[in-house]
Amino acid sequence: MGLRSSSRRRRPGRILALVMVAAALAGAGCGRFAVRASEKEHLADRTMRFDADGHESAADDHVLSNREGSAGGRGTSGGGCGCN
Amino acid sequence: MRLQLALARRAVAGAAVATALVMAAAAIAPVWADDQIDLTTTWYLERRRGPEGGLSVVHPQLDVQLDAGDSVTVGAGYTADVVSGATASVFSVDAVASATPFEDVRHEAHASLAIKGSRSGLSVGAGAAAERDYTSINVVVAGNVDLPGKNTNLALSYTHHFDHVCDRDNGMAGALERRALTGLQPCERSSLILVDDTPGETVWREVEIDTAEATLTQNLSPTLAVQAGAYGQILRGFQSNPYRRVAVSGVEPQESVPDVRGRLALFLQANKYLTGLHSAVHGAVRGYSDTWGVNSLALEMGYSQYFGDSLLFRLRGRVYQQTEASFFKDAFFYDTEGPAGAYFTGDRELAPIRNVLGGARLSYIGVGQDGESVWGLFDEVRFELKGDVLLLDELPANPEEDNPAGIGGQFLSSGQLIDAFVLQLALHTAF
Repeated sequence: MGLRSSSRRRRPGRILALVMVAAALAGAGCGRFAVRASEKEHLADRTMRFDADGHESAADDHVLSNREGSAGGRGTSGGGCGCN
Repeated sequence: MRLQLALARRAVAGAAVATALVMAAAAIAPVWADDQIDLTTTWYLERRRGPEGGLSVVHPQLDVQLDAGDSVTVGAGYTADVVSGATASVFSVDAVASATPFEDVRHEAHASLAIKGSRSGLSVGAGAAAERDYTSINVVVAGNVDLPGKNTNLALSYTHHFDHVCDRDNGMAGALERRALTGLQPCERSSLILVDDTPGETVWREVEIDTAEATLTQNLSPTLAVQAGAYGQILRGFQSNPYRRVAVSGVEPQESVPDVRGRLALFLQANKYLTGLHSAVHGAVRGYSDTWGVNSLALEMGYSQYFGDSLLFRLRGRVYQQTEASFFKDAFFYDTEGPAGAYFTGDRELAPIRNVLGGARLSYIGVGQDGESVWGLFDEVRFELKGDVLLLDELPANPEEDNPAGIGGQFLSSGQLIDAFVLQLALHTAF
């Protein structure tokens, strides 16, 4: 009985998590129409890439992680969104 | 003391994680279509008080990526840290009194193999690093996929580290009885990265690190792209600086921190292209929290401006603030009250601090036009010069009114606003 109650209590949380994941994926999917291939000239520019320079990102992380207690969360390079 | 840890061990491992993740992700980023050679040298200078001088780190990086067919890229690289300067061997109210000179060299090599499709990529890589008192082996796997329309990209990466850190053989000694490592004890290795204990003197302690990162990149308009993501890391094993002592209740045992640390960071960043100005604005925010009680927020802004087709100038600024670890105390309170629970540390990275960065970068970009190569050799050449200034503000962890010694002397870096400089030179070529 206790186990069943516990399971019931967790279910709304799981449903909420599933809904959030589904919403995120649906939202991302809608983004397919955000920009046409012919409109990506500026998105392909190096200034629009996240972490376009792997060496600079790694060196920045090296410096900052030796001065601060936190780590990570600076994003990943590329992304591919600027490519036609 | 002949040699001493140049950098906090967790930070060294963290940097290796960053290198592995960045290189693995770069290997599968669709923007790279040519063979590449990248060479970067970074010089970091931190001002420090006392007679032993500041902290200097020279950090060369070399990476080569070659296409092997239409969809396979192989990469290899090397980095190093040549470190010299001063460090305080005892965390106390007077850091200058225990300031000692040290030097160290760390070598790291890595290799990767990437497979790229029209809309996705997968990369595997491995690396190894060694210095006198630390060895590391890491494996990384990373992948990304463009959703239909190529306006949305999902990326995942995972890294595992098998590390060892040299420590004084303290047997079964309690936390307040442990002696710190000095440069006089041997840290033996049977090969470059295989370690050997020296019973009665030193032992190699394990550190395992699991790191995972997920990012979602989205084009919102022809001139606006955003990226959101989550970063998680679990560290297990010996994470103290084995050289550091802490003045605790009249004795000076080796620093003692928990064996497990979990980290989580969430971030959001955006790039906006300003068509009329031929420039771009960058913004980023990151929140961080870990199981040791360190919480932080970082805000970063940048601006990139083209001058003609070949010159690109970038300005950026970053503000960061963190709370202290739950077991961190200002030096006066460790010495007079004792530790907070079972742990005590003199690590500045676990203290409450505010960090400000301001910098500029100038890039020369040469791209071959109409079939002509740059300098007769390359499809593209990029030469970069970058400089950053870092300001540090050390904040009290305990009530200032109860601390007659103050916090102005507990770190070698205390009492000076402009704390460090970074100078970077880079040459990137594609052919």
